Amino acid sequence: MSDYLFIQSQDPFTEVRCAAQYQLARQLRDAGHRVHVLLVQNGVAPARLGARSEVFDALLGGGVTVSADGFSLKQREIEASDLKAEVTVGDVGDAVDALLAGSKVIWN
Amino acid sequence: MSDLKTLTFAFMDPPFESERTVTFFRLLDAALERGASVRVFAYEGAVALAFARQAPHGNAVHGRDAAEEDHPLTREWIRALQEKAAAKDLSFEWINCGLCVDERGVNDVIDGCGRGGPPDLWRYASDAFNTLTIGTR
Repeated sequence: MSDYLFIQSQDPFTEVRCAAQYQLARQLRDAGHRVHVLLVQNGVAPARLGARSEVFDALLGGGVTVSADGFSLKQREIEASDLKAEVTVGDVGDAVDALLAGSKVIWN
Repeated sequence: MSDLKTLTFAFMDPPFESERTVTFFRLLDAALERGASVRVFAYEGAVALAFARQAPHGNAVHGRDAAEEDHPLTREWIRALQEKAAAKDLSFEWINCGLCVDERGVNDVIDGCGRGGPPDLWRYASDAFNTLTIGTR
């Protein structure tokens, strides 16, 4: 089993490839790996309450843990209370922690 | 044997164009905060991040001069990270892809940033504990 962290800068509303990126994360999880997705930049957009994205909601329901970079949220005036229940507030430092722990860190 | 505290980053975005540049610099800062040494291989447009002749400018639309505008320059961010690393007794290395530099005419870089090529990325990645490549979509 491996640990994966995806830094997800792309969002499903403007990038069609985002669906495949989410799917890869889920497939890795289904294959028995630990997978975390850190949303950054516009990648935080689908995490907002009321944001309608079937592919993102499928990611949340697929056993992959998801957090959103607090800096990116603040830039967009999104509060923690505005996020979907499964999404926690994180930081890009979490990606560095993962690198230092030997995880496979992938930029999307 | 790998150095357990060195991280390598490969980056290709130019300054002043993408939010990725800000995130990239935040990652470098976070690495130094955690006591990791940093090696950067900059290629394509990212070789201009260290260009020494970047200049701040005012904003006439908003009636601000250069000092008031306080325009952020990536060469100053690199310098700040170099100083931070030195203060923490960590290494901070930066190599620009030479071909990419020549294409763009940005040979005049700040001190501490060198010139190299893809073999340096291979060396950086081979020696580092871990590597993150931030590709442009």
